[in-house]
Amino acid sequence: MKTLEVQNLTKRFVAAPHPAVNNVSFALEDGEILALVGPSGCGKTTTLRLVAGLDRPDSGSITINGSLAASESRFLPPEKRGVGLVFQDHALFPHLTVFDNVAFGLHGCRATSRQGRKRDEIQTTVSDMLRLVGMDSLTKRYPHALSGGERQRVALARALAPRPVLVLMDEPFSSLDADMRLEMREQVRDILKAMQSTVVFVTHDQEEALFMGDRLAVFQRGQIEQIGAPEEIFHASATRFVAEFMGDSDFLPGLARLEGIETEIGLLPQTNSLPHAAQVEVAVRADDIDFIPDESGNATIAARFFRGAFNVYRLRLDSGQILHAFKEHTQLLRVGARVRARVSAGHPLAVFQKINS
Amino acid sequence: MSLTTKPLSFPFKPLPFSPRLALAAGLVAFFVAVPLMYIFIRALGANPEDWLRLLQTRIWRLMGNTLTLVAAVTSGALVIGVGMAWLTERTDLPGRKAFRWMLALPLAIPAYIGAILHLALLRPRGGIIPQWLESAFGFPIPTPSPLGFWGAAFILTMFMFPYVYLLSGAAFRSQHAMYEEASRALGRSPWQTFWQVTLPALRPGLLAGALLVALDVLAEYGTVALLRYETFSSAIFAQLYGRYDRSAASILSGVLVSLAMLVLWAEIKLQGQARFTQMESNWRPAPLVPLGRWKFLALLLTLGLVSVSLLIPLLVLLVWSGQAILNPELLAQVFRAGSQGFARFAWNSLWTSALAALLAVTLSLPVARLSARYPSRLTRFLARLCQVGYAIPGVVIALSLVLLVNRFIPALYATPFVVVIAYVLRHMPQAARASESALGQVSASLEEASRTLGRTSLQTLFQVTLPLITPGLLAGGALVFLTSLKELPATLLLRPAGFDTLAVRVWVWASDGFYIQAAPAALLLVLVSGLPLSFLLRREQMFR
Repeated sequence: MKTLEVQNLTKRFVAAPHPAVNNVSFALEDGEILALVGPSGCGKTTTLRLVAGLDRPDSGSITINGSLAASESRFLPPEKRGVGLVFQDHALFPHLTVFDNVAFGLHGCRATSRQGRKRDEIQTTVSDMLRLVGMDSLTKRYPHALSGGERQRVALARALAPRPVLVLMDEPFSSLDADMRLEMREQVRDILKAMQSTVVFVTHDQEEALFMGDRLAVFQRGQIEQIGAPEEIFHASATRFVAEFMGDSDFLPGLARLEGIETEIGLLPQTNSLPHAAQVEVAVRADDIDFIPDESGNATIAARFFRGAFNVYRLRLDSGQILHAFKEHTQLLRVGARVRARVSAGHPLAVFQKINS
Repeated sequence: MSLTTKPLSFPFKPLPFSPRLALAAGLVAFFVAVPLMYIFIRALGANPEDWLRLLQTRIWRLMGNTLTLVAAVTSGALVIGVGMAWLTERTDLPGRKAFRWMLALPLAIPAYIGAILHLALLRPRGGIIPQWLESAFGFPIPTPSPLGFWGAAFILTMFMFPYVYLLSGAAFRSQHAMYEEASRALGRSPWQTFWQVTLPALRPGLLAGALLVALDVLAEYGTVALLRYETFSSAIFAQLYGRYDRSAASILSGVLVSLAMLVLWAEIKLQGQARFTQMESNWRPAPLVPLGRWKFLALLLTLGLVSVSLLIPLLVLLVWSGQAILNPELLAQVFRAGSQGFARFAWNSLWTSALAALLAVTLSLPVARLSARYPSRLTRFLARLCQVGYAIPGVVIALSLVLLVNRFIPALYATPFVVVIAYVLRHMPQAARASESALGQVSASLEEASRTLGRTSLQTLFQVTLPLITPGLLAGGALVFLTSLKELPATLLLRPAGFDTLAVRVWVWASDGFYIQAAPAALLLVLVSGLPLSFLLRREQMFR
């Protein structure tokens, strides 16, 4: 049995021209983390809110832990769904202490634990949760006296304390500073894995999605473009959008041939099932391109970006096409130098047939 | 200002529309709208002959009188209010902190008490100052008449400028230093900066303050009646109280409410989207301007103003109260007025105002919640409707309620509850604004968090929303309490025979010329009003 099953989910807002969520389907296994990733306005947060029961879908169904939570004829309110939600702004209750915030979900009359909990049972659960997130020394504090990272931890503890069958996280790290974000996501992933939680995680940051997700679902304009393991999404992007969004790809034009793809910087010996002489684009990232100084080469160095351990060079091919390439920091080439660029990827590259407009 | 809903760039939508909430809000809006509509119905349905007669005889003169007074008081209050706000917020005026309080506290003194004191001190025959001058010089010295337009304009300005003072003071204060610094860095002189950056940013505060003053002047009865300057309010009151001419009163009320709606509409139009008095987290106050050799003059000016609007009235009331208490004959009169004692009418004031505050806040909640959580044309319209109380002067509310209650619920007629209803209708806007801003500060995600943690919407209301908005609601309630306590014309017209409040008692004594007997009640009224006022002021950034 799947923990979450979403089928043909559609949600349209009155003022918007396109559906916010358009016929979306996916499913989660027990203990799995699915990252919904996409640019802002792509429908990922709406999908999350529909699963939480904070919005009502127009059509489609949501099944949580085997019971129908939403369909055309049925709508289970959020308090009956047994999901934990971590909000973008954390949404800690400002009038309650850290302890009471975490205990809030334990007093409830949730359908799955109707017998009610004893006071000391609540006490232990809250203490355990706060210890798990490393906040057991600050139980008496009020949210306004906490740092961003501490609030984050309390929000997570609050969502996890009632042992929800499904944890939903809406860009939980976006309100944190960059360095805190890196630290928190590692901690949070460890905690979620330790609790064996099933998680839907929403983010617009592709790197964060790759780190957090066991699988990724890339959203665009209310639809899932591709769903799969992080490596699959990154290396075998199904659409040009996914390749572009997930990893700063350049798109090198080419022509499909039997023996490979002919491009400005040489033939890519890559088998394909494209029609002969079809116009294609090859998604290439900076790590797929190498170049050597060559006065009679095919490109000029347009700019160099120093990134610490390595340099990123921007190359302008003679056709005007821009490509990027990594080089270790020991080797410095001046801007304006002539070079010869070639594809050096050790794996097949994603190729998209060009749609002529 | 266009009322169209802009499509949100990101489709955040809260929980599905709640029918219970919509029903409650609809009922409240109906309750608020009916008295207003009824006045228009009666005004338009009045005898055409009455209309003609009034148009030929009264309306234009009243219109002229009323509008000149509104214009004079509003501009006076703007000049004084902004000037004082600038002095206490932006200069090194000595004693700024104390002056802030003294410039705000005149709000606790109803203007008609100011007018009573003004009359007692300055009236040509028997006034304290003319008498004193006569005894000092041996012959009568002519003093300016306290009556008429200038008297009314002076008194109303003295007791209404604090509205502008408070709002522009808050705006001066919340202004981030960086805006002025940016202007200076872009090559503007300090003087240009003041006119091009500082003052424009004050616009929302100034407009809101001017609106409050203008509407209050339109509604003012006691001051203009005492100082014999006829405006719509006092004319309507005379029609109702003396002549029982309800048809003429309805017509004049219709015109007055139209004027007030015009003012309200103008404010909304001018205000536009301009709401930029937001305090930022890294806020840093603008540096103070050294007054230099102007310091003495500024101090003198401020002291003079504070004396006229606060210190002298308080001092006179104290002295007279002392005289009343020390004189056994006067004391007996004070404590046994009519058939009731002093404690009785103090209690009447308290319970009617407190009940009005409670009701106004409770009733404002559904509408405020609806417009805060489900913004749409309809909900915004409902919220606007709850603001119309501002535009319905006390005399008009009284007239409308007299007519409505007589016709539809005669059992309520001549009970104190009609007085309470009048207070609620008149002061609902204050409660509505407070509730709206309190609810607006509770992020929707807090309520959603509560729902996902297993609470129903009703449990969420009681366990999350209400605890968070209580301070804001208390402030709204305090404001309604304060203004209800001071309310005079509706109380006079609607109270059952023998039902006296502090305000009524002060009025009755003073209009019979018994100033000293009126003093203890007036002093108590001012002191009781001062409590909720100082609670409200303490919430403001300016008074921390």
